[in-house]
Amino acid sequence: MIDRRDFVKLTGLSLVLVLTEGGFKIIKGAQEEIINPVLWANITKDNHLVFLVNKSEMGQGVWTGLAMLVADELDFPWERVRVRSAPAGPQYIDRKLGMQLTGGSTSVRNMYDFLRQLGATMREMIINHASEEWKVPRERLKAKGGYVFGNGKKASYGELWEGAVKLPIPHKVKLKEPSEFIYIGKNIPRIDAKEKVDGSAIFGIDVRLKDMVYAVVERPPAFGCKLKSFDPSQAKQVEGVIDVFAISTGVAVCGKDFYSAQKGRESLKVEWTESSIKDFNDQKLARYYLNALNRAGAVARHDGNPEDVISKAKVKVEGVYLLPYLYHATMEPMACVADVRKDKCVVYAPIQSQTWALKTVSKITGLDEKDIEIYTTYLGGGFGRKANVEFLREAVEVSKKLGRPVKLIYTREDDVKSGWYRPMNATKFVGALDEKGRVVAIHHKIAVPAVFEWAGMPSKIDRAAVEGIENMPYSVPNLHVEFVKIDLPIPVWFWRSVGSSHNAFTLETFIDRLAKAGGRDPVELRLELLSKNPRARRVVEVCAEKSGWDKGSHRGRAMGLAYHFSFGSHVAQCAEVSLDKKTGKIRVHKVVCVIDLGPTVVHPDLVVSQMESAIVMGLSASLKERVSFSEGGPQSLNFDTYPLLIMEETPEIEVHIVKGQGPMGGVGEPGLPPIAPAVANALLWGYGIEVNQLPMTPDYIKTLL
Amino acid sequence: MTEIYINGNLYKVSLPEDTPLLWVIREHIGLTGTKFGCGKGICGACTVLLEEEPIRSCITPLKAVKGKRITTIEGIPANHPVKRAWVELNVPQCGYCQPGQIVEAYALLKKNPRASREEIVRTMSSHLCRCGTYPRILRAILRAQSMMGVKT
Repeated sequence: MIDRRDFVKLTGLSLVLVLTEGGFKIIKGAQEEIINPVLWANITKDNHLVFLVNKSEMGQGVWTGLAMLVADELDFPWERVRVRSAPAGPQYIDRKLGMQLTGGSTSVRNMYDFLRQLGATMREMIINHASEEWKVPRERLKAKGGYVFGNGKKASYGELWEGAVKLPIPHKVKLKEPSEFIYIGKNIPRIDAKEKVDGSAIFGIDVRLKDMVYAVVERPPAFGCKLKSFDPSQAKQVEGVIDVFAISTGVAVCGKDFYSAQKGRESLKVEWTESSIKDFNDQKLARYYLNALNRAGAVARHDGNPEDVISKAKVKVEGVYLLPYLYHATMEPMACVADVRKDKCVVYAPIQSQTWALKTVSKITGLDEKDIEIYTTYLGGGFGRKANVEFLREAVEVSKKLGRPVKLIYTREDDVKSGWYRPMNATKFVGALDEKGRVVAIHHKIAVPAVFEWAGMPSKIDRAAVEGIENMPYSVPNLHVEFVKIDLPIPVWFWRSVGSSHNAFTLETFIDRLAKAGGRDPVELRLELLSKNPRARRVVEVCAEKSGWDKGSHRGRAMGLAYHFSFGSHVAQCAEVSLDKKTGKIRVHKVVCVIDLGPTVVHPDLVVSQMESAIVMGLSASLKERVSFSEGGPQSLNFDTYPLLIMEETPEIEVHIVKGQGPMGGVGEPGLPPIAPAVANALLWGYGIEVNQLPMTPDYIKTLL
Repeated sequence: MTEIYINGNLYKVSLPEDTPLLWVIREHIGLTGTKFGCGKGICGACTVLLEEEPIRSCITPLKAVKGKRITTIEGIPANHPVKRAWVELNVPQCGYCQPGQIVEAYALLKKNPRASREEIVRTMSSHLCRCGTYPRILRAILRAQSMMGVKT
């Protein structure tokens, strides 16, 4: 049982508060160049660094990556570094994002300078204090490995820290030269590995408070319907059920434990209003999206005269694609613990978006943000889904009504029914080639819901809808990119790599169709189209080389290559694929992945794990995943009907990192987009199949043979 | 009152006998290393050992384990080669499915220390990991075998 004080201690927060009692002024965001170490870190008397990290650890290794930056500049032993989650609050915003949020593959990029500055500032203050204390000039002191040495004296940082923080905070301290790094660029152990192996890591679903009760929420069976009425009488008779009441998203059933709440829900009678899309099933959705391609949309980019060039072209290529709604399938379903009192509220949640969470809780409770404490636990997977705080809002609504701490748990079925999917989309490409097989025009149109609008950031051209297409690195003289907005009551959200998760598939398979129509090698065509982009060219070249592209098919297997630029990083992947024509079953044997994320690679092995992770997730989606619909609601409610990739289906993965010049790129997302088109391209060249839909299930593939 | 032994300790719980073992372990015993993933025995996040056999605790009612010995992730020694290999190879990402994976791998190697690569892949394919740690899980099990001095 965790009581609140224990958890606060666990987060390291109390340690930091102790130090703030020393008459220390909290420096507000306005004085940006000054970093107040006390807000971010503490060094305990027994010489442990406790670093409060403002980013959510959801598997990407961000706690390790960010703590390395501090520990490197501080020059502190890695095994004595402890990371705790920073509470939600304006002091912990990512200044480049303007909010506290983990997303967009930005964490290391955005925090790199700041956290190195933090470590260097701390080290400087420790040296300054030792110099005063020992009356030894600074130049004769050395701070290394968690100790300060000089004039025959030696003290740990921990012994000096309490005095050090009373000194003025230095401005603009000098940072290390890359040659002086002790951790940056090296594969040091993940800081969260041990806890995650011994079972002690605390996820949102694991938090336990004194007197806590449990809640589940019965949700509508379809989207676009609302609660009409409900009869709680039978549910209330179930042993252990405490209360049953309506909240904004459905009917909450509260019990003394999860099982009684769940059993109570089974006896609940609920009536919903008719869904506004009650006749929507998979076929209707497909027609709806494809028909939308006939509508005029908003033009995101228009270069030259693509219509004219296409109409006069000798060789014209067309592709019409239909890609499904996808479910995030975090292994930890949504779960949140909330304790709402009259003058105070405490929340523990596995969330990616602390700033939104704070605003949401303030709105529901009417409390001032300073009276709200939100602690981020480990996230059992995020992939964008846990940036949506609706589940947190539900927990707060329930706790407010009950006046006691509550843990709200989504079952797997609840999780699927809540929606917030990667949007379905239909895309049409028309391209033209000249007599030499050069790409002279591309005309593109996508019909897709607006993810950013669902996230409260509407714009004429949804950024996610056309990302990767509008800003494609290929030089095409006549180019048209158009967005038709789909408005359906099916909630959509950010899903790992967002718009690139579908746009890379359509663009990259279309490039190969152009190559085929023009009698060109797809790698050679890409290199021609990338003539103005040396970094992109290089990852394609290295990928072709490492995969043995020139040697043609391997061991009788088909090969396909795709390239995509997203979140600041260039990634190319080559897949070795075979197809059993009898069953339609695809086997991906090997994937060679090349990433250029810029000149600085903080932790190469974490980059490799993120590439492995993105390839497995992307392959899972491209071979197996689709949210199936009937009567306006999802039908694939658990892993039996929404299967994920398993170990047997996982290819051998080989990752190469190349260092290009330019700004640092992201890592969490860019590895995902190229895998689906790489596999589909292998089918095009090896088996003559044009894949227009995902997932590439055996049933679908058989229709193409 | 139902008596069960978890990680060598005797617990007496007074709960409906159809309560899934998972929730008994998590909410009533307070060991939260065993995870809820699907509630249908598909994903493997809730895997524990019943005597020596890995079972899905989310679909195992309390009455089925009366008086039996259960081992959870917390009951596997910290210095066991499987756990050590997992840390050494930076296997966990989000970490949520890992206790179930580790319990399964531990049981496999206990039963068959010389399990072949194919056997390992077949056994571990009954577990889902959304982070895609499969390549590292496989490497870690092979590594654990070599730590145990097993030649495969």
